[in-house]
Amino acid sequence: MVNLTIDGKQVTVKKTATIYEAAKEVGVDIPVLCYAKKLLPYGACRVCLVEVQQMKGRLIPACTTPVTEGMVVTTMSDEIRKVRKTVLEFLLVNHVIECPVCDKGGECDLQDLTYEYEVVTNRFEGEKFDLETDIVNPLIERNMNRCVLCGKCVRVCDEIVGYGSYSFINRGFETKIATAYDRDLNCEFCGQCVSMCPVGAILPRPFKYKARPWQLNEVDTVCGYCGNGCTVTLGVLDDKVETVRFNDKTGVNDGNLCIRGRFGYSYIHSDERLTKPLLRKNGQLVEVEWQEAIDAVVTGFKAAGEKLGILAGGRLTNEEYTLLKQLASATGTKSLDHSGGVCYTGVTEGVKGALGVAASTGTFPQVEECETILAIRSDFYETHPVFGMVVNQAVKRHNAELFVVSDKKGKLTKQPHASTLLTKPGLEVHILNAMAATLLEENLAVTEGVDDLDAYKASLADATPEKASELTGVPVETIRQAARSLAKADKAAILLAYGLPYSAQSLELGKAAANLAILADVAGKQGSGLYLCGEKANSQGAIDLGVMPAAGGSGAQEMLNGEMAALYIVGEDPLTSYPDRAKVENGLKKSPFVVVQDLFLTPTAQEADVVLPAASFAEKEGTFTNAERRLQRLRHGVPSPGEAKSDFTIFSQILSTLGAIVSYTGPAAVFAEIAQSGPYAGIALSDIGPQGVVWGGETLAVTKKSLQPVIGATPVEGEYLLVTGSCLYHSGTLSTKAYGPQSVVDAPYVELNAADAEKLKVVEGDTIKVSANGTELALKAKVGKVVPSGVVFAPNHFAQGGVNRLYKGETAVAVQLRK
Amino acid sequence: MSNTVEETPEQEVDLAAANKVIDKYIDMHGALMPVLQEIQEEYGYIPEPTVHLVAERLNVYSSQIFGVLTFYAQFHLEPRGKYIIRVCMGTACHVKGAGRLGDTIKERLGVGHAETTEDLKFTAEYVACIGACGMAPVIMVNDATYGSLSVQKLDEVINKYIAMD
Repeated sequence: MVNLTIDGKQVTVKKTATIYEAAKEVGVDIPVLCYAKKLLPYGACRVCLVEVQQMKGRLIPACTTPVTEGMVVTTMSDEIRKVRKTVLEFLLVNHVIECPVCDKGGECDLQDLTYEYEVVTNRFEGEKFDLETDIVNPLIERNMNRCVLCGKCVRVCDEIVGYGSYSFINRGFETKIATAYDRDLNCEFCGQCVSMCPVGAILPRPFKYKARPWQLNEVDTVCGYCGNGCTVTLGVLDDKVETVRFNDKTGVNDGNLCIRGRFGYSYIHSDERLTKPLLRKNGQLVEVEWQEAIDAVVTGFKAAGEKLGILAGGRLTNEEYTLLKQLASATGTKSLDHSGGVCYTGVTEGVKGALGVAASTGTFPQVEECETILAIRSDFYETHPVFGMVVNQAVKRHNAELFVVSDKKGKLTKQPHASTLLTKPGLEVHILNAMAATLLEENLAVTEGVDDLDAYKASLADATPEKASELTGVPVETIRQAARSLAKADKAAILLAYGLPYSAQSLELGKAAANLAILADVAGKQGSGLYLCGEKANSQGAIDLGVMPAAGGSGAQEMLNGEMAALYIVGEDPLTSYPDRAKVENGLKKSPFVVVQDLFLTPTAQEADVVLPAASFAEKEGTFTNAERRLQRLRHGVPSPGEAKSDFTIFSQILSTLGAIVSYTGPAAVFAEIAQSGPYAGIALSDIGPQGVVWGGETLAVTKKSLQPVIGATPVEGEYLLVTGSCLYHSGTLSTKAYGPQSVVDAPYVELNAADAEKLKVVEGDTIKVSANGTELALKAKVGKVVPSGVVFAPNHFAQGGVNRLYKGETAVAVQLRK
Repeated sequence: MSNTVEETPEQEVDLAAANKVIDKYIDMHGALMPVLQEIQEEYGYIPEPTVHLVAERLNVYSSQIFGVLTFYAQFHLEPRGKYIIRVCMGTACHVKGAGRLGDTIKERLGVGHAETTEDLKFTAEYVACIGACGMAPVIMVNDATYGSLSVQKLDEVINKYIAMD
């Protein structure tokens, strides 16, 4: 620790702190333009100049200068004021003054400082910038005439996002921020640069001229898309979410968001939202009053009794899951399941069988400090982009060794020190087993207190790195290196993504990852962790609360076999999102009574007998549990459209019509009950503050260490293998109703390797025919280097794509391609 | 944003030479500058496909490479002529009428500063002092220096190079 004096105040800070950070600790504000908490110090703008007694004769930039023992700092004097004012004058020489029409007005750092330092006139004259505005992309507007060259956008895109869209180009007065070849922006559109810009140079285009910042009511809530659980701060004006605000003070995400979180909010106010209950009369869905709809639902449920199947999407709150469980028991059915049920068996059975717990054992921020990271199956940038950014920082800032076991190359592949163990689809288990075998063979494994070791060792007899290499094409030495790196790391993380497109081999991968976590001493160890990342915002909540079939009941897949007397599908569109569309169609057709509760008239809802309009995440209260076990609160931001109601209210109404006694006054009362027992025991709603509460603690203790033999799959043969999954811009099917994601990727596509494209004489944008099992789809081609030759990828988000007509839940499907 | 460099449709560039250069430096940290310099030696300028190739193979963003290329005057993003005519615009040459030399080149070859003839034979560049003030006004054509020029003498020099391949 270092002691110093700032404006007469004594302060003790850690050795690595800068003067700026030390001043902040004692409540002394130093103005900055180019500084951001999460970025490395840069020192571009010079408005943070201060005096240091020991460094007389010049002013010192506070944001880049490390503290030293005994330093005496003065942050304001006539001299400092004069110099800062001059810096502002320089900036204002070229900066166009468009404050009246600039969306940043009111929260612009340059505007605020100009006002504070009373820069009324400028002693210098020069040409104003006259650069064209980037108008092509629909989400991010760049007006470089307002740029102050602080470099925050360049740095955030490099340091955090790892995309590298921007750079300083040219030299001297002509310096500006631009993309390669100064073209229009074409990137991930995460909008991190928007959130960092201190002036109005980079703005969210959908928010242009919508509101002044001070008019907005800010509501901190949790993003409703993926299991990352980022805090999103809704900017609300007149009951409408106009934008998502930058907020780095709350939540696990440090103000980082992806395109879905930052630009994916518009579905909340979509014209297509359901606003009234619908009931099928004479074959047509017609609008009815709530009471009539609820009566019809209850009559149908009563008639079905235990032949009722209830399927709950991954975006209900914990409180809603609890009511839904009560609803299931009130109707007498055992068939209640989380819609992702099958794909989460890896967590609920595989990992639970090995470790006794069914959740991630660490928290996301811990991953930044890990020395070795093993990402399995998915490039986390596509499923959990903001968690991907944490991985990025571990690699870039802390030199973590990163190993990606996947069937395609994604953004993580490009990281420094990243090693991609590129397998043919579906063969990941072979590699994980071979890594485990390496650990045992080289005596690197931790086997103390581990059960079933002998049986496990016997099962690995055939799983040598050599055999795995032969099968997967990954070099033996790479497999061994990955294993060694995992074993030698003091802190290590194993990441595994779950979700509907990743149903196949969930159990096998869950077991194999857990085995590796045990042998490499990753699970349950402080700082290390096995991370099981669910696809949806509250998938983990569903697992924690036991939203799964009771003994003898049907699970998510069996329910759709067509043997149920009634189906109640809440917040899921299985026709689009489930594998094997024909099976789902058949199941819906054969079930005499289908109730769908959703925001939109999804393809599944169109087949229903009753459709109940539900509320989005922005319209309700409650809690979500993210993929690292963090409970966070949703807050009511806007009213629901028309007569749509929250799932909580709908469940309560059905329950009371069923004759059950519902005594809850609201979600808070239900939470109090949830916290009586189970994983959330002892957590009070009031404890869930800005950073949420992680149940089980930062490091979740495992209750056992039991190795489970698991055998890798036989490779699928075929010239082209189709894999499905999540693409970066979308999450589930919901984001296809949101302007942001849709404006970048608005239709299904099939991605293939450039070499294959050449062979097929296909170029980007061509329509190609993809066929298998007698089904043929025409999809737009996307050509690149992400998928290896012989593999094609199609995202599973789009209703119109029908990718799930080809894919029936396998890891890969052999397909034919033709132009 | 205006495109300072237009997106050229399908720029056909043989990347073999660039790959060879990158192979040499692939394991060296911070090798971007020599890689770009040698690529320019090979191609006479830095073709766009080589930028993306370097980005991919050296794990540097294309945007960063573009930043470097536009910062240093030594890099050229457009093809350049076989003969680079450097017209000294230093003080001594200026006084001795270097401006007229520039005008003559413009008249004869149709190229001003940083411009290249369509047949890729000549590129004109107005440069600051080249250190031969004693023989002002002076030009250089590639490595050859021509001093004490008059418009007539310059005409002869130009004729000589036009006649060459």
